[in-house]
Amino acid sequence: MQSIIILSVLALLAPLVGGLVYGIERKVKARMQNRIGPNILQPFYDFFKLADKRLVMVHSTHAFLGVMHFISIWVAVAVLIFGGDLILVIFLHLLSTALLIMGGFSTRSIFSHLGANRTAISILAYEPVLIIMAVSIYAVNGSFQISSIINSDPLLYKMPLTFIALLLILPIKLKKSPFDVAEAHQEIAGGAEIEYSGIFFEAIYTAKWLDYIFVYALVFLFGGSNYLLGAGLVVGTFIYINALDNSTARVDYRQMLKFSYFVALPVAFINLLITLFN
Amino acid sequence: MFELKKFRKKSPWILHFNAGGCNGCDIEILACLAPKYDIERFGMINTGNPKQSDILLITGPVTKRTRERLVEVYNQMPEPKVVVCCGSCASTGGIFRGMYNIEGGVDQFIPVDVYVAGCACRPEQIIDGVVVALGILEEKTKEIEKTIKLANKPVVEEDGQVNRRNMPAELTYETTV
Repeated sequence: MQSIIILSVLALLAPLVGGLVYGIERKVKARMQNRIGPNILQPFYDFFKLADKRLVMVHSTHAFLGVMHFISIWVAVAVLIFGGDLILVIFLHLLSTALLIMGGFSTRSIFSHLGANRTAISILAYEPVLIIMAVSIYAVNGSFQISSIINSDPLLYKMPLTFIALLLILPIKLKKSPFDVAEAHQEIAGGAEIEYSGIFFEAIYTAKWLDYIFVYALVFLFGGSNYLLGAGLVVGTFIYINALDNSTARVDYRQMLKFSYFVALPVAFINLLITLFN
Repeated sequence: MFELKKFRKKSPWILHFNAGGCNGCDIEILACLAPKYDIERFGMINTGNPKQSDILLITGPVTKRTRERLVEVYNQMPEPKVVVCCGSCASTGGIFRGMYNIEGGVDQFIPVDVYVAGCACRPEQIIDGVVVALGILEEKTKEIEKTIKLANKPVVEEDGQVNRRNMPAELTYETTV
């Protein structure tokens, strides 16, 4: 009973923690560029400011899809925290991205269409690796249940190549350089989220924080029952992603797809074969 | 009481619009974002998206081609919002004033809150101007903002085709609620 309460509180607080992670990330990124950088609480200031803006929406379906994007990703993170099915978590996350793509296509703005297109392409790039990761976890552990994964031996020693493949596709997932074609701030000014404003953009903005929680929780799973190892992996991944974001330039979406299919996917697949026939 | 108003000051998002200038002021604005002046430490982001920004930074004089875009971009920004003119061209027309293709300063078309002088204006001045604009932004209520819409009637030719050549046909100022 007590553990359920703790888990519910954790699931409810997930956006807050994600906002803190985003704030720390902006600060770390600024320090890497020898800047001072914004306050760590800056995402929350943005949040309250956006709540104060005038209500403007393109049409109600567009706004609804944006809010549903936020809710479905929150459900995905909650299932992840409660220790549910890994496949369910991955597909709930896919559903939330699909809702964002539908929202992007529901307006007449050409930038919105471009962003939705590119988001769909980046799903093509990262989703196979996530599925193969789930299958190899099943091959090692015999279960898709996250509650059993978290109590097993560290997965990192049994599937290091899958972890490397995950690291390779995480920049696509988090829309970080060099694979930030979906957001591409200088080209298409933010992608599928461009037509959202005020309180509806807030839903998209908060969903971005929850994305961080989702990704870092996936990384944490590789630590298994060794929570210290999991935390170390999370910190290492955080620094790796920010260093990569600051040091690389954006690539084409074709190059992104080629990289994902010819480098990341084979690496994950080799590990799957090893675990299956070992 | 929990005041949402005071957070306006803490996260102003900038939209940068070049109304037809020589690019000098634009480079100075970009210099503000670079590590030396780093205006992100005040929470400012250059969004490039009118629907999510609070401050409209305009450079350059308004030309006959850009005036509709300027008003359109201004109308797309949700209130509360402030407008900052960067440089003498955006404020008055500058050295381009009186030319055949120039309409003049930005304040002929949209309400301007802060004028930043200089050709080109220095990054320190831009930061000062934006800080003044933040004070105005905090005092603004949503009601005092009124959008001024540039409505142009399409010219229909004799054969029923709409004339696309004379797009900025007529300037009629309408206040919409």
